[in-house]
Amino acid sequence: MKFDTPKFMPGGDHFILVQFGDDASIDLNFMALGLTAAIKAEEVTGVVDTNPSYNSLVVEYESDDISYADLQTELAHLIDGLGSVENLELDSRLAYLPVVYLDPWTRDCVADYSEKIAPREYDPDFVADVNGFEDAKQLARIHSGTEHWVVAVCSTPGLPLMRALDPRCAITSPKYNPPRTWTTLGAIGVGGLSSSIYTTPGPGGYNLIGRTPVPLWDPRQRHPVFKDRVVLLDAADRVKFVPISEEEFEYTEARVADGSYEFNITAYQRFSVGAYKKWVSSLNQDGQF
Amino acid sequence: MALSVEVIKAGLETSVQDFPGRYGFWEQGFPPSGPFDMWSFRLANVLVGNGPEAAGLECQFMGPTLRFSEDCVVAFTGAEMNPTLDGEAFPMWESVAVTAGQVLACGFARVGARAYLAISGGIDVPTVLGARATFHMAGVGGMEGHALKDGQSLNVGAGAGAGAGVPGRRVKQDCRPAITDNKEWQIEVVQGPNDDWIADDGIERFLTSEWKLQARSNRTGYRLEGPDWIFADKASAKGPEHGEHPSNILDHGYPVGSINLCGQTPIILVNDAPSAGGFINPFTVPSAAFWKLAQSKPNDIYRFRRVSVDEAQELRRSIDRLCAVESIA
Repeated sequence: MKFDTPKFMPGGDHFILVQFGDDASIDLNFMALGLTAAIKAEEVTGVVDTNPSYNSLVVEYESDDISYADLQTELAHLIDGLGSVENLELDSRLAYLPVVYLDPWTRDCVADYSEKIAPREYDPDFVADVNGFEDAKQLARIHSGTEHWVVAVCSTPGLPLMRALDPRCAITSPKYNPPRTWTTLGAIGVGGLSSSIYTTPGPGGYNLIGRTPVPLWDPRQRHPVFKDRVVLLDAADRVKFVPISEEEFEYTEARVADGSYEFNITAYQRFSVGAYKKWVSSLNQDGQF
Repeated sequence: MALSVEVIKAGLETSVQDFPGRYGFWEQGFPPSGPFDMWSFRLANVLVGNGPEAAGLECQFMGPTLRFSEDCVVAFTGAEMNPTLDGEAFPMWESVAVTAGQVLACGFARVGARAYLAISGGIDVPTVLGARATFHMAGVGGMEGHALKDGQSLNVGAGAGAGAGVPGRRVKQDCRPAITDNKEWQIEVVQGPNDDWIADDGIERFLTSEWKLQARSNRTGYRLEGPDWIFADKASAKGPEHGEHPSNILDHGYPVGSINLCGQTPIILVNDAPSAGGFINPFTVPSAAFWKLAQSKPNDIYRFRRVSVDEAQELRRSIDRLCAVESIA
């Protein structure tokens, strides 16, 4: 539910949490990202860092430059200035990311978990079953049938937290319990309402359904796409997964390694929340790919 | 010849850090990193005449053994690790002249857990995303992205403060953090942001109980052991998007210092913590108390004292004022 007025909560001596509502309505994320953009555009005094998420935004501030009370007033003022969510337009690039669905590498990762931690079904079969899909192939079809909205880039460097923009392609699934101790680098996972891409080979709890050969960050900034930035995606970008074969994966991986890979990211659109909502309301939401 | 420092033994986990760490990249998934005990770290730089931005070493639990290629001035602050210079006791909290070829060696931390070494000129490693601080989980910053390794050689900057090193400067006793070995700490906390997920008697229980620091603690998180938490009704009566356990919440950003409740285990998220996740944060440890976390050891006992945002900010300012030349005798 969207709150009538946003809630402000302190996080220690130099953070404030702004919460727009208490559920996963995508409007709440649009508001959080709208506020993030407004803070940057206004260059609000004392704001050091921002950290948006599903329905909230954490702002880090320097309390020698602005008090908690003044920051709250300033943020409330900026939120008023955003107007209704339908008015929001956000900078949004579209990134095409190649992916092998139902791939051998994440199959090995699941098998390793089954052997060492707890037996479990092959993740794509499990997720397909939980969502009432025909099979794992339909899961892949549905997952690649929508643009995915980058809700936030968080947790580990460059890791995108994404949700399907097309409601006909929404996938939900429980997470691992206990979590994995390692995850294949580049694995595509689904958990809760989110999809994500593992940017470090660390622990994880999402069900693994595929793998991309494309790096999502590079601290050494070797490839031209990383010339002015370290991570590939920002919050409010969109991702379209392009299914490829294992053979193409290896070809792409080699081109990434030798620096000749051409990233496919378009930046000629802005995202209109009003137009998006109008389109969603026109859909037959019972339809499935 | 330019000054360099040879790492004869790296110690348990010695990393290059700078103050305040890496800022401006939180929304891309990068934590601040930086020195855990910023009070001791900053005083080490003040001692050797460095600017506040100069990089130094954070030495955890067992410090390194280092050889200096040229004459220089260094200072050790923070935890007491029985440092020696060519076998002679090396004074803490004091700037000391070191001559070319001398070896500085450390043992295990006797009092406190993290020591800070500053060298006049500062450690010169490449700046990554605006900072020299090491974020080793992602291999970013510091010495090739990670803690020091035996046999490496550290360059020392000719930048800020070079040549300004004057030996014999000491930090006044009452300007240092009170690092003791009594194993009990009072840690300030600010209530929130998710305190409304905990019942009133749960808040009371948290503030009146003893919490033991577990061994599985590091620069990412400090795991605590204590009584069970009592959740508010809200923690169970919530939409499925929040997850199953009462401590689950729809993914949100984690303030640095927040006490992150994973099931029944509270984890204090510190310098290298993930920026977001799906667990609640009922309390937050303010920056003024971080030096206490940094200097405590596994099995130490914490008691938490609730302070207001204003009090937490005033405490931080009072520490900032001490990290200045006025603290030097």
